[in-house]
Amino acid sequence: MAEKLAYLWPEVTLFLATCAVMVIGLSPSAAVRRLCPLISGLSLAAAGIFAIGTTPTLADGAEGLMPGMLPYAKAIIAAVGILIVMLLAGTVDRGEEEELAAGVRKFDPLRLTSGEFYAFFLFSLTGLMLTASADSLIWLFLALELTSLPTYVMVTISTARSRAKEAGVKYFFLGALGAAIFLYGFALIYGGTGSVHLGEIHHQITLQMAGDGLNGITLAGLLISILGIGFKIAAVPMHYYTADVYQGAATPVTAMLAFVPKTAGFLALILLCSAIGWHYGETGHALPDTIRLLLWVMAVLTMTLGNVLAILQTSMKRMLAYSSIAHSGYMLVGIIAGPGATFTESGISAVLFYLLTYGVMSTGAFAVIASLERTHAERTQTGELAYDEADSIEAIRGLARAKPLLGWSMVICALSMLGFPLTVGFFGKLPLFTSGIAAGELPLVIVLGINSAIAAFYYLRLVSYPLFDEAGDEAGGFITTPMRTRPAVAAIGAVGVLAMTVFAGPLMGLAHDAVQPKLHDSDAPIADEAMPTEEAEPVAAK
Amino acid sequence: MMISPLLAAADTAGVGVAPAWVLAIPFLPMLAVVLTTLCAISKNKTKLPAWITVGCLAGSFVVTMLAFMTLSGETNTVTAWRWFDLSWGDGVGQQMVANLGFYIDNLSLLWMMFVTGLATLIAIYASEYMEHDVGKGYTRFFFAFALFVFSMLCLVMGDNLLLLYLGWEGVGLCSYLLIGYFYKKPEAVAAAKKAFIVNRIGDLGLAIGVMLTFVHFGTLEYAELFNSAQLQGYIAAVQEGRAGDVPLMAQLIAVFLMIGAFGKSAQFPLYVWLPDAMEGPTPVSALIHAATMVTAGLYLIARMLPVFLVSEWALPVVAWVGTITALLAATIGMAQFDIKRIMAYSTVSQLGYMFAGLAFLTSTGGVFHVVTHAFFKALLFLCCGAVMHGFAGQLDLRKLSGLWHMKGWRIVSVGMLIGCLNLAGVPFTAGYFSKDMILAEAFVTPGYGYSLLGWVLLLTAGMTAYYTFRVFFRVFTGPVQFEAGDEHHGSDDHGQDGHAHEDHAQGHFHPHAPGIRINAVLATLSVLAVLAAGLYFVSPDKHGWVGDMLEESTAHNVYTADHSAAAMFVIDGDTHGAHGHDDHGHADDHAAHGAHGGSILGMDPHKVMYYVSAVFGLTGILIAAWAHGPKGLVSGFIGGRVEAGKCRMDGVAAKLGPIPRWAENKWYVDEFYHFILVRPLRVCSHIFHMIDKLLVDGLVNLFGYLPRLLGRGAQPGQSGVLHGYALSMAGGVGVILFIVVMVTL
Repeated sequence: MAEKLAYLWPEVTLFLATCAVMVIGLSPSAAVRRLCPLISGLSLAAAGIFAIGTTPTLADGAEGLMPGMLPYAKAIIAAVGILIVMLLAGTVDRGEEEELAAGVRKFDPLRLTSGEFYAFFLFSLTGLMLTASADSLIWLFLALELTSLPTYVMVTISTARSRAKEAGVKYFFLGALGAAIFLYGFALIYGGTGSVHLGEIHHQITLQMAGDGLNGITLAGLLISILGIGFKIAAVPMHYYTADVYQGAATPVTAMLAFVPKTAGFLALILLCSAIGWHYGETGHALPDTIRLLLWVMAVLTMTLGNVLAILQTSMKRMLAYSSIAHSGYMLVGIIAGPGATFTESGISAVLFYLLTYGVMSTGAFAVIASLERTHAERTQTGELAYDEADSIEAIRGLARAKPLLGWSMVICALSMLGFPLTVGFFGKLPLFTSGIAAGELPLVIVLGINSAIAAFYYLRLVSYPLFDEAGDEAGGFITTPMRTRPAVAAIGAVGVLAMTVFAGPLMGLAHDAVQPKLHDSDAPIADEAMPTEEAEPVAAK
Repeated sequence: MMISPLLAAADTAGVGVAPAWVLAIPFLPMLAVVLTTLCAISKNKTKLPAWITVGCLAGSFVVTMLAFMTLSGETNTVTAWRWFDLSWGDGVGQQMVANLGFYIDNLSLLWMMFVTGLATLIAIYASEYMEHDVGKGYTRFFFAFALFVFSMLCLVMGDNLLLLYLGWEGVGLCSYLLIGYFYKKPEAVAAAKKAFIVNRIGDLGLAIGVMLTFVHFGTLEYAELFNSAQLQGYIAAVQEGRAGDVPLMAQLIAVFLMIGAFGKSAQFPLYVWLPDAMEGPTPVSALIHAATMVTAGLYLIARMLPVFLVSEWALPVVAWVGTITALLAATIGMAQFDIKRIMAYSTVSQLGYMFAGLAFLTSTGGVFHVVTHAFFKALLFLCCGAVMHGFAGQLDLRKLSGLWHMKGWRIVSVGMLIGCLNLAGVPFTAGYFSKDMILAEAFVTPGYGYSLLGWVLLLTAGMTAYYTFRVFFRVFTGPVQFEAGDEHHGSDDHGQDGHAHEDHAQGHFHPHAPGIRINAVLATLSVLAVLAAGLYFVSPDKHGWVGDMLEESTAHNVYTADHSAAAMFVIDGDTHGAHGHDDHGHADDHAAHGAHGGSILGMDPHKVMYYVSAVFGLTGILIAAWAHGPKGLVSGFIGGRVEAGKCRMDGVAAKLGPIPRWAENKWYVDEFYHFILVRPLRVCSHIFHMIDKLLVDGLVNLFGYLPRLLGRGAQPGQSGVLHGYALSMAGGVGVILFIVVMVTL
């Protein structure tokens, strides 16, 4: 227990901050309430520092199957989390606070939601970090749900508009469906292998594969769990909710949805697939055929559907929602490719690196949208003030000239998401290609290439509208939001893209080290990844 | 077996690790870039950007001098960090690593010193020169200025070809931004585009050269490349007269790199952009288009000299192109009236000298000329800039006269005189020594008609002296006469904010003499240009300080320690390939002061050249004095010009028929290019446009329509109805499970 705690310090830190924020959010003093985002950000910074300091060792026994992944994953969660919390700052209770300050209304703790909002945000990130630490199916399930449940509420309370409520309800019900699916899968895996511990599951699967292949229950369990986790990463066929929910939520929350559940889903997929092991197939370096085919179909459908639907959108939030689906499809290529000896050959390090780059560039792009709001707040039917953010792509016409900071941030982030050479998005996508080729998945890589070309179609709109167009009538209806942190996040996102381009090498090195086995033990399956062909027999002999 | 000088050098030349503080040299200009960006964001309206830039560049210069004092003579690298590592194996050619690393040897130190030093001085000059633009383009100017210095330092300091390439593109971008600085002026925009597009051709060559280097040698890092057994083997093969053993690919690398060098350094046929680039502010012309960026091509060849040595054709082509450029540009320069353009053509011409010098296998001569030229040409440009600044953009030498006698213009005049003396190659100036070395070497080195090139270059030296002093005599001597340029109306350049005042009541134009900062910079540069001559005397047996410096770098190929072995080298006339490379042997014994491979009228070329070139130079000046000098300069015979716009040359020109006009119109090269390249391309583009519209567009639209169609097909699924979604998801799970299980089991 004590050993497990040793590297749960980041989660513990976040949990303590959650409790603090929940109380502070109800303070009668506006100044104290305003501390909530600050405390959230500081606790994330502390969690990040703890995460970097963690060095999981085998003796601890609590690490997942990718022990090196822990510090890396938690550090990027903390880093992007800080960006998101800056974006979230001031999102809820804005009208309330203004009316309180103006003396129109009296202090009523029941009407204020900022305490819950930031507490839920921290809860969600706690769950995300716990996902990275998971070593058993039960832990994994609880961590995934801890990640998702708070986001349902956050979507609902993010704006006073009714579409946020609609989005929240949809997200909750469909999320429950997704959770039910992967929980069912987990149960079947337990039935098929007799264990919930990932290390033990790996052992059992290795034995089964050495024999007659996976037994029916295990196989069904694995397939269903992967499909269920597809909900978190918005992969086909579990993607339906994405566009509606992304559009309905306030943009800062949308930015969070693009990063947090996706990261959770990919961490879970990496853990699950490493429990299966990339030692099978014709090459001896692939997942078992059925699993590989499932991920293959999901990857192709996800990236293609995401991109073709994104082309049709005129709403930036929907466009970025579909593009987020497409990005999940790209990353699935890395999952299929599996780990490798060098960075260019390792699909898992490619996914981990891509999560970081995607987190920064998509948060930057959403921050630009969040920074543009209508000149006047409107009062909703329930009497609350609603500050509408930009959504239509018309809003960013001529932005680089009218508001250079926001315009250029959008241009840089969009170019990077497109994977334009010499942006970090390019360095992120490149290893997905190379690892796919190294794994012999040439057709999949070709599909990935075609999809990158289709994606250029709509990303270049996000580049050309701000840069080359004249501001239209619609663009005139928006001003830069008075909340200073939002344009700041846009700028940080753009500068981050540039900085990560310059420091791509060291960051890639970190992502690479995160996948490299540091430990050696017959029960630590990852240690055997380097020599997969020799593995099947000795284990079978046991 | 013949021991190659490089092989011998490679054994001893270990590559060390430079101290980390060297990183400050490129990163201080980067800091200036960041800070000026912050100034732009905060909408700073003061002169702060200038002082930030000057401070950072000065810091960079100081660190460079420190590096020179502690590190010269060694080859060191320092890696800031690994930019990316896309290796896919451990074998040769499988390691694609790009380091943000810097290579400090004597060659890069030379460039670093004059780049940072001149950049600092010119930034001080620009802080005054650009004053009229404070609050408008001031920040933009210094942002691009600092970015240029950073890129240039990456170019010369990078320890691999990739970084060199990035720096190369970076300086190209900054050059574009700064030529087009006055973006409301159509000529400036056109010139910026021209520079960018012409450079593209050269850059393509460089890109191909870099790629071929990686494909062939499996590395882009200098340290690995120069010490690779492969390259050393080729050099040894060429030395032994087995040039045919060098694969074609290896020989092509040098050719492609050479094309890149021609583009950036404005050599024939890609020189056309440089004269137009004078549309940029004058400090930019001085720094980028005279002193530093245009020498990048020379740096490339000097740096990659071992690769050039294994190519049969590259260096002879460089020699010929350099000489042709020198002559052509000099003829055009003689007929121009815009003094800044004259300087531009003289830059092209002098760059031709440097290329020829490099190709005559005396990297010393070429690089020495780079260094001396950097100082005196920057000085000349800054003097022209001061004139332009003071006379509201007036640059026509027919409309300016007698500046020497005007109050406040003495420093400019003296600076101009010193610059002109250097450029004309008057004895005991720096330009004299460096040019002589190239000229002498042309006669020493056997090669494809090199002695003919030597005579051409001598003739060009005379022409250089003529057009240089034409400017000096016309603008600075004679009666005081001037007309204001077209900018005193406050149109776009300077003059608007009270520098060139027009007294509206009287209609008089008052020239604006340069202020303290411009004068201080001019004085400093004048002193440096004079002192540069002393470099020749630092170690005369190695042909001056530059020769001493280069001996320790890879650019050194001539003066090898291994004289005895080289002296035994015999020209094998039958071995075709060896012909161009025999020069080693000859140059080597030349260095040992043994028998000379070439001679001029039967005498030692280096000694003879001191007199011959002096005669050519002085003759040129005399002709200029006779034709353009003021009345009473020496006696009735010389000079005789009493008006700004009229001189004896007018009569001579009239007798020459249309030739001066052709020269003034730059031999119609631009029109020729327009005719053979731009027009056919335009016709082709129309044809392609038709094909594109009818055929390709149709196909593309079809393919473009496909994703849309797919999207439309999938869109109804996104109905927004909750139970529809739930059903689709559950159904999707079922269908996919069914397919997957059916296919695999």
